Amino acid sequence: MEQPFDLAASAVTPTPRGRAVLCVWAALPGAVAAPFLFWQGFWLGCVFCACWAALVFVVWVRACSFVATLGSRTLTLYLGVAFPVERVIPRHSITSALIFRTPLLRLAGACVLLIFTPGMWAMLPGIPLEAADAISAALLAGEDDS
Amino acid sequence: MTGRRRYHPFFALRFMRRTLLLYLVPLVQVLFRRDWAALSTALAQDLVLFCLLAAVSWVMLHASSWELDAEGVLRLRWDLVVSFERTIQGSQLAAVQIERPVAYRLAGACRVTLYPALLPRRQAVTLCLKRRDAALLADCLMPAPEQEVYHPAGGERLAFVLLGANSLSTLLLVWLAMRQSDSAAGQIAWQQLGQAAAWAARWLPAGLAWVLTVWTFLFGASLLRSFSHTVRYTVWRGGGVLASRGGLFLRVERRFRLDRLTCAEVRLSPAARLLRCYPVYLTAGSCSADDPLFVYRAGQEALVRRLLPGFEMPPRRRLTFAQVRGRSLVFLAPGGGCLAFFLLLLLVASWALPAAVPLLALPAAVCALWLAFEAEGLFREGAWPVGRRLTFLRQRRMSLCCVCIFSPAAALRITQSPWAVLRGRASLTFAYPGRLRETVRSIPLADAQTCAAFLERKEPYDPNHPL
Repeated sequence: MEQPFDLAASAVTPTPRGRAVLCVWAALPGAVAAPFLFWQGFWLGCVFCACWAALVFVVWVRACSFVATLGSRTLTLYLGVAFPVERVIPRHSITSALIFRTPLLRLAGACVLLIFTPGMWAMLPGIPLEAADAISAALLAGEDDS
Repeated sequence: MTGRRRYHPFFALRFMRRTLLLYLVPLVQVLFRRDWAALSTALAQDLVLFCLLAAVSWVMLHASSWELDAEGVLRLRWDLVVSFERTIQGSQLAAVQIERPVAYRLAGACRVTLYPALLPRRQAVTLCLKRRDAALLADCLMPAPEQEVYHPAGGERLAFVLLGANSLSTLLLVWLAMRQSDSAAGQIAWQQLGQAAAWAARWLPAGLAWVLTVWTFLFGASLLRSFSHTVRYTVWRGGGVLASRGGLFLRVERRFRLDRLTCAEVRLSPAARLLRCYPVYLTAGSCSADDPLFVYRAGQEALVRRLLPGFEMPPRRRLTFAQVRGRSLVFLAPGGGCLAFFLLLLLVASWALPAAVPLLALPAAVCALWLAFEAEGLFREGAWPVGRRLTFLRQRRMSLCCVCIFSPAAALRITQSPWAVLRGRASLTFAYPGRLRETVRSIPLADAQTCAAFLERKEPYDPNHPL
């Protein structure tokens, strides 16, 4: 029997496979551009690849640091290692949520959850599908008054 | 409730105004080849084009309509070949603005702008209605019986005129007016300005005289504009709506739903501090007016609470050097950078071009003043929960803005750089409905976390709030 996701007991983080998919997405534009830079010059291509690899590493590090916690009134997102960012979104201000899956994410058993409020939008990337379902259901149900 | 109604014919004129450039198309060849024999043909083509566009405008006017039902739902319809209908719930509106410029008043028209509470400015709806229809629409969507009334009078009105004057916005308006006016009027204006500058140059160096003359002219125009805004000006509150009405040339009526207010701001500009009268600005949804809603004297905070129930000012704290310790010097960067630049120019001018020293001393003095205000921001900027509201102080140019957030939908973002992590500081960004943002810089991390914890508390806001 499928175990329901326990929101209260756990903070949501991207799964290792979800993080891998995010890194693939980040690497893709670089992989497309790299042949053209190697065409211009071997060392230019090498420098470009090193820079892009560093960028992909930053994406991986930031994905590792991502944590979402659901309080009784707010959804809090923590992100970043050297440049930490904390976003606090009142639950009652959330107007819609969107669960986004690509074939690669489906293979990884993960998804991207987009949350929209009147003032901003937030992304929870590479989180497990069950967690995304549970969060969007909880958010759109309103506040937890218990 | 109203049945289907048509827009005012000015609705069609707005479309025709956008097609003005089309009339140049037949004239291009005539003007470039200087083929004056073909001018009459080109003008005939323009006439045909005008008739065609007038016909299109007439069709547009008759294909579009609006209707307000008994539940307060406004329906905007288009019925020609395809049909579509936009529905706007009255309860979802944050503000309604009715503008009546002179041309509209002569034609009995009103420009009505509806600001939804949760949508950005580009999704605000602008309609062109007959005067009676506009009044009916505003009364149905946001009924505002007069329970608390405020008229600025005497010294308060004078302060209102002075504090509402904004030389920068006037500069923009003057520039637009001079671009749209014919060249003869522009030349006369420049001639008059030149004469005034020559008169001032009897006592002052020529460059400085020009700067002061232009600034005096702009400030005078700005004062006139502000004065016309305060003619027959009234603010009133009733039925959960705060409204204002007034103006001489451009009559503006604004209605704000109090339960949809985003924030209220008291702006402490240098002039406001000298006069000890403080202007209050409102933001509701994406509606953020440039003009103050009302002005109150120091000690008359009861007036603010009477018109804006639940308003809280940020706490007054003693200024100590402990508040500045570890704070980012980014506060001083704009003013300090400009001051350093002008001081450098002054230094160079003192031996290379002594005549230019007075001209450069004026902007240097202004930058020094700006730097002093930025230093005040360094001490005073911060965010705190007060009572049932989040409040913050923010330095903007030479003004200190005291903001009280009414909207329970405001989200927070706390960001830190590696240096801020070491110093225990953070920047706090408030994201309001309507995609508006405001950042308070380099405050103690503990204060930012107190604000975040405030949102998690059980009863920060009215539980019956419509959101």
